[in-house]
Amino acid sequence: MTPLVAALIVLVGAATLAAQDNFLPIGPPSPIPTSAVPDLSGDWGPGAGGIGQSMSGADPAGRLRGKEPDIPYLPWALARTMEQVPPTGPDARFEATTDPQIHYCEPPGPGHIFMYPAKTKFVQTSEAVYILHEVGPVFRPVWLNAKHPPDPDPNYWGHSIGWYENGDTLVVDTIGFNDRAWLDQVGHPRTEKLHMIERYRKTDANTIAIEFTIDDPGAYSKPWVGRRNLARSQTGFMRFAWVCSVRDNYEHYQKVGAPGNPGATTFK
Amino acid sequence: MRTRLLLVAALAVAVASAGVLAHHGGNLYDTTKPVMLKGTITKFEWGTPHNQIFFDATSDKGEKQSWVGSTEPAPVMLERGWTRRSLGPGDAVTVYIFAAKNGATVGNIQRIVKADGTELTASGGGARAGGEGAAAPARP
Repeated sequence: MTPLVAALIVLVGAATLAAQDNFLPIGPPSPIPTSAVPDLSGDWGPGAGGIGQSMSGADPAGRLRGKEPDIPYLPWALARTMEQVPPTGPDARFEATTDPQIHYCEPPGPGHIFMYPAKTKFVQTSEAVYILHEVGPVFRPVWLNAKHPPDPDPNYWGHSIGWYENGDTLVVDTIGFNDRAWLDQVGHPRTEKLHMIERYRKTDANTIAIEFTIDDPGAYSKPWVGRRNLARSQTGFMRFAWVCSVRDNYEHYQKVGAPGNPGATTFK
Repeated sequence: MRTRLLLVAALAVAVASAGVLAHHGGNLYDTTKPVMLKGTITKFEWGTPHNQIFFDATSDKGEKQSWVGSTEPAPVMLERGWTRRSLGPGDAVTVYIFAAKNGATVGNIQRIVKADGTELTASGGGARAGGEGAAAPARP
């Protein structure tokens, strides 16, 4: 092997590795498109299709857990998914769930939070769009005209930047996740390599269609997509604040989560 | 075009059915037919992750039974017209409930009819009601 060939092999190998670690470009397009700003004001709840269980676009009900045709698991991620015990859905065992949100009230994070039947509000400013959630309650800033920090501290919500496209869409680009939350209610894992792109498209006066692109080379071999809809709420944002309480979760389990096990004293 | 329509239709069905089994413990209840129980409310807990409704009823054999049933959480039930004052201790009610398969006196409330004829619907509700599935019945 000549030195030139060897060098080429190394370069190609390095490029392949780099590509595996970064499927999609991170950050806003350059230049950032000039677009009218869609009006996302109002109170938004789960829309057509409901909250579902899984981030899988092919299996939003979570019935095919581990066998979804659209989720390109890495082997460890498939194993991890199947180790988890969901609190809801077809494989639910609430009394034995491993859901960190149920056990510890840890934040579900972007995407997953739309799988709770609660409301959302968007506060649009020139500096940022603040997405407010009844579950928590919690807010997350989406910084406009901004870039990600070079090495964000991993956390449940990541670091989000955003921009508008086509006059009807807010694009949210997020990195800086930790690996503790599930992507959805059925236990799909995420890693610190997760790069999530959310597209909030106002399709009519009463509907926002959300598309989630899951780009996580730490857990999946290529990006995949989930979808949800939001519809205008009739009762208004924060009419009831969904304060997460481990005690409430536990007491629900005691009362109705596992009939026949009223004497249990803890999640198993 | 036809293929595209079929794909859209298939996706719509898949999404619409996504919430059918969403509820905690949903697979523990007999969701094929609600049981009708006549009784009296003893406590109404309004909140999250789900409302809990406690009531006493009499079994077919004449025995007094204490039941607890759940509904969707308060923010969803608000959209369906309920409030924390919809029920209170002493209310005489007829309860339609998906009961536990194992005979435990717990279940998922489908609807409640009060003595004055007021009907509280717990199931369904559709997308605008903030439920877990537009075409989905309520789940335990």
